[in-house]
Amino acid sequence: MMAKKNRKKGQTKFPVPIPLVALLVVLVGFALVYVCLQSRTETLGREIRGLEASQSRLRDQLVREQCEWAKMQSPSSLELALKSHGLVMTWPGRDQIVRVRYDGSLDTLHGYETRPSARVARNNRIVMND
Amino acid sequence: MTEPRGSTRFIVILVLLGLVMMVLVGRLAFLHLGGDQNKATAAKTKPFKQTLTVPRGRILDGSPSAGILALNVGVKDIWADPSLLIASNRVGTTLTCLVPLIPIDMADVLPRLNKTNSQFAMISRYVSAEKADAIEKLKLPGVHSSDSSIRSYPQNEMLCHVLGFANNEGVGSSGLELAMEKLLKGSPGLIESRLDGKRREMVERRTQEIPSKSGADVVLTIDQQLQYMLEKSVDAAMERNRSKAAFAIMERVRTGEILAMVSRPGFDPNQFRKATDPQKLNRAIGYVYEPGSTFKVSVIAAALNDGIVTPETIFNTENGRWLYQKKILRDYHGYSQLSVADVLKKSSNIGAAKIAIMLGNVRMDKYLRSFGIGGKLGLDLPGEEGGILMPVQKWAAISSSRIAIGQGVAVTGLQMLGVLCAIANDGALMKPYLVKEVIADDGTVLLRRQPQVISHPIRPETAALMRRLLARVCEEGGTGFKARVNGFSVGGKTGTAQKPISGHYSETDYMASFVGFIPADHPEIGMIIVFDEPQPLHTGGAVSAPVFGEVAEQAVRYLGLTPTESLVPLSKTIQTVGPGETF
Repeated sequence: MMAKKNRKKGQTKFPVPIPLVALLVVLVGFALVYVCLQSRTETLGREIRGLEASQSRLRDQLVREQCEWAKMQSPSSLELALKSHGLVMTWPGRDQIVRVRYDGSLDTLHGYETRPSARVARNNRIVMND
Repeated sequence: MTEPRGSTRFIVILVLLGLVMMVLVGRLAFLHLGGDQNKATAAKTKPFKQTLTVPRGRILDGSPSAGILALNVGVKDIWADPSLLIASNRVGTTLTCLVPLIPIDMADVLPRLNKTNSQFAMISRYVSAEKADAIEKLKLPGVHSSDSSIRSYPQNEMLCHVLGFANNEGVGSSGLELAMEKLLKGSPGLIESRLDGKRREMVERRTQEIPSKSGADVVLTIDQQLQYMLEKSVDAAMERNRSKAAFAIMERVRTGEILAMVSRPGFDPNQFRKATDPQKLNRAIGYVYEPGSTFKVSVIAAALNDGIVTPETIFNTENGRWLYQKKILRDYHGYSQLSVADVLKKSSNIGAAKIAIMLGNVRMDKYLRSFGIGGKLGLDLPGEEGGILMPVQKWAAISSSRIAIGQGVAVTGLQMLGVLCAIANDGALMKPYLVKEVIADDGTVLLRRQPQVISHPIRPETAALMRRLLARVCEEGGTGFKARVNGFSVGGKTGTAQKPISGHYSETDYMASFVGFIPADHPEIGMIIVFDEPQPLHTGGAVSAPVFGEVAEQAVRYLGLTPTESLVPLSKTIQTVGPGETF
């Protein structure tokens, strides 16, 4: 039996310039990273610009709303609104005011739970007009 | 034949890498240089520096709701490119479209739009965002808008003299806007970057970014509800009495906080250019006047404090006509004799003059200056006047008798209120203030004012006695009867001062005033109301006292003050006219 011919034996080897390939690979790697970063920063830049514009627009809107709210809340506007709805508001009479004073001690609260009013307050209420 | 497989693979790899490299190089070239079309725009990138404007701080009132009194609102400036409009022959059409939306001064705008070489012509400034949006929707060629901001005062005329105004450049020009300029304006930011060929900022090329710092919020001691009550009543009374001008101040007596301040005539700070100088004058602090009878309070308080007189001391009031140093002094109503308590209640000029003479010039001068007369009280608002009180060395023989009745001396409303508030505050004169605190954008408190005592002109016991005497003025028979408030005792003094005109006192023009505090026994608020030349009624008791009563009645309810028992009337303990020491 004839021995198997070693094909590789007759081949002439191409000398691979490993440093050149390595350099190329590194360069390509750097270039890829550069492109990625460039497009990423560009996207972020656009995003920042958009968000800044949006923030400015929203801030302006907030201020305008605050201004409108301040106008609506002003005593003169409230008075006009009351007038336009035919509402007349007066201060309560002295006999209509109940002044409750708390002397600062908890003693005044003792016995509260046993009072009839407290028991009534605990009853379930039937909500009719809510 | 041997197959050079290794070299084939290598060549394939090289080709692939070469292709990738070419793609990358192509992309890089595109990014940096662009195609032929983009070369010009790419070359146009240039450095860009932008100052970031900041909104001016707000001014808020001191009520629990912290109502906004002043703030910056974003608006738009509408401008056009005249060269484009002329080239397309659209000047007329453009203006026709804009006129229904924004006010345009044709005489002003047309010449600017007809400049062929110009690329910028302002059409209208400070246009609201809504109107600017409507204009943008029209998509008019050559018409553009740019961001701007304007100072807005939502309450319009209310509190105009206190707030003042900031000009169109955003610089405080009067009132608190001027006084608090440094804190309100904030610090602008900075962006250093590059613009692309289309003049858009290349955010990724930003080299520097300093964020702007917004102006701080200024919180006032003023309560807009109380301010409104006071303004409304003063306005109504001005109209009723056909008064030329008026001013009023409400102060918290224990602290010196100003709760409300009114000056009339007023102006709308949103349209400050239309305001005249008399309208801009804050009369409450910047107008000096002869106070008349309200000034008797300071002289009588001084005499009581020095023990020269007591409330029971009887004075001969000469039946309303007294010749002193060859000059006649008259009382409005003639009385033969009055106690010190009644000199105040009936507002006797002769009685007050005699008390001043007993007190002596030097002591009187010392007390008046201690009460804050003749100098500024140091309110944190520009334009405060110090009044006029001549040095004691220059006083004439009759000076003390005239100063005692509020002639020959000039004060501001704030000073006169200070005297009454010192009496109401157990003899301690407090420094009045309008700014409660200043809060930065991040919530840091930059400034918080604390009550500050200026002086102690009288002892607490004298002050308590004076409060009882002043309460009598507002009882039945007193000149300040119309200032009374149901359920509360009121202490105060009326004043009806003839105006000095061309070297002598007018017989027709008066300053009608009332200055007082409530409740008289435990005072919480002090108030002064002054009307300039009211007609036909002209006395402080008839014109100013009712306004005090009207405002005080609402104020005590708003502030939740508990109605007090009336003081024991002094008339029950003091014999008003009778035997005693006479002068």
